[in-house]
Amino acid sequence: MTFLYFDPGLGAMIIQAIVAAIAGVVLFSKNVMLKIKSFLGIVKKNDEDIFEDIDINDSDLENDK
Amino acid sequence: MNIKKAHSSSFRDPSGYVVIEGNDVKRVINPLYFKQYQALRDSKFYENLIKKELLIAHEEMSNSNEEIILKAEKIPFISYPYEWSFNMYKEAALLTLRLQKYALEHGFSLKDASAFNVTFHKGKTIFIDTLSFDFYKEGSPWRAYKQFITHFLGPLLLAKYHGSQSLKLMHNFIDGIPLKMVSSMLPFKTKLNPLIYSNIHLLAKSEAKHNEDYDDNGYKVKLSKNGQQNIVKSLYDFIKKLELNEKSEWGNYYDKTNYSDEAFNQKSKIINSWVADIKPKTLVDIGGNDGTFVRKLDIGIDVSLVCDIDNNAVDINHKLMKKNKERSTLPLVLDVINPSSAIGLNNKERDSFIDRMKEFAPDVTLALALIHHISLTGNVPFVRSAEFFASFSKFLIIEFPKREDSWVKRLLKSKSDFKDYFGWYTIANFETIYSSWFEIIEKKDIQNSERTIFFLKNRLIS
Repeated sequence: MTFLYFDPGLGAMIIQAIVAAIAGVVLFSKNVMLKIKSFLGIVKKNDEDIFEDIDINDSDLENDK
Repeated sequence: MNIKKAHSSSFRDPSGYVVIEGNDVKRVINPLYFKQYQALRDSKFYENLIKKELLIAHEEMSNSNEEIILKAEKIPFISYPYEWSFNMYKEAALLTLRLQKYALEHGFSLKDASAFNVTFHKGKTIFIDTLSFDFYKEGSPWRAYKQFITHFLGPLLLAKYHGSQSLKLMHNFIDGIPLKMVSSMLPFKTKLNPLIYSNIHLLAKSEAKHNEDYDDNGYKVKLSKNGQQNIVKSLYDFIKKLELNEKSEWGNYYDKTNYSDEAFNQKSKIINSWVADIKPKTLVDIGGNDGTFVRKLDIGIDVSLVCDIDNNAVDINHKLMKKNKERSTLPLVLDVINPSSAIGLNNKERDSFIDRMKEFAPDVTLALALIHHISLTGNVPFVRSAEFFASFSKFLIIEFPKREDSWVKRLLKSKSDFKDYFGWYTIANFETIYSSWFEIIEKKDIQNSERTIFFLKNRLIS
């Protein structure tokens, strides 16, 4: 890549495959837990949440002011 | 355009540079980045993010074979990572991850993830480095991954386990807190958390192992897009839930203050009448706690900078700002007696707090229930605090708690043997000394309290 003006770290590049695998397991197990919890009806809804969702939707752009 | 004119912080990225011309902020793009820029522009990637107020707005001014010039929206006051509270820092980290996810979905990737690429504007975080997006190359890992960890995850974890003051470390480590340091400072139990273990401890080990490996094997490493999305998403979920566990010094300050409701309302009434006279567009409240007094102002203000030394107060202010969807508030963590200095290359990369304040030049400064702390806790003579307050604002509204005030009594008591040294802390002395910098327009005693509030006009700034 031509624009590499800082060192991305070789170790950091190599390790990402493992980090991603662990992330996959974490996400999967969280999902399973959430499903179990919602089945049992113990999902807490957090009204205090001030942070937006990770997804930036192009679709609702038209609805914005 | 001549590169010599580039802003002193704009030298790392060969894609282009920033030039400040009078009131205009211009971004010059070098031919090296033309392809990326055109793709980002033509696919409406820029346009969509700007509409969502996630990326600083710009318009194309000129377009030649040598350079493309953009004019960017100017941000009145740029705050830096070491001036954010914990939740502000979280918001900046989450924005970076949201942008990386969005970029990946559209065939791009963030080529750097510096915390200095984010600032606060109109009540939310905004990404200010327009040229940080590059093409996503199928199967390649995230090149800015390590930077994200050292700029965001590392500092946030240190804050969680060692207190919010850890975020100030970014002042020393402009390029992120070293992985080895973060890893060694985190408690053992963090090794049992798969996310912290993999993103900090394992990463630190891997970096140390390949430290002296100069082959370009890094370019051959493969990671699926899905894998990268998983990293981004898991970091997002983790950071979003991250919380501090520390008690606030000032968090519920207004519950334990010595103000009666009546005095409190009167104070707010006086401030409102003075502010109505000068109709300020910009304001700074030094020691403004959670922004209570700024929210009591009747007049609309474009930008209100509310600074406090306590992370929790700033966090509460940030939360209120988000909940009320305020666009004018800008909370900031500030130690008045040690404001952030200039750092980086030639000490010019990141400006000092005072220099940014001079540039911002707020129409009025509020300093309520503050002077006794500066004077008695910080041992700062009136001459020095007057000099500070006179350096950026035309008007100053300052509250003076007299020696009889219970807070002052408490602070004096804590001085024990040196108590007599603070004989100079009197309202008469205050007036005389502040008069050399300011003209006293009006002063009023607050009923049922031992406090007087002054409305002052700066003699140096007209």
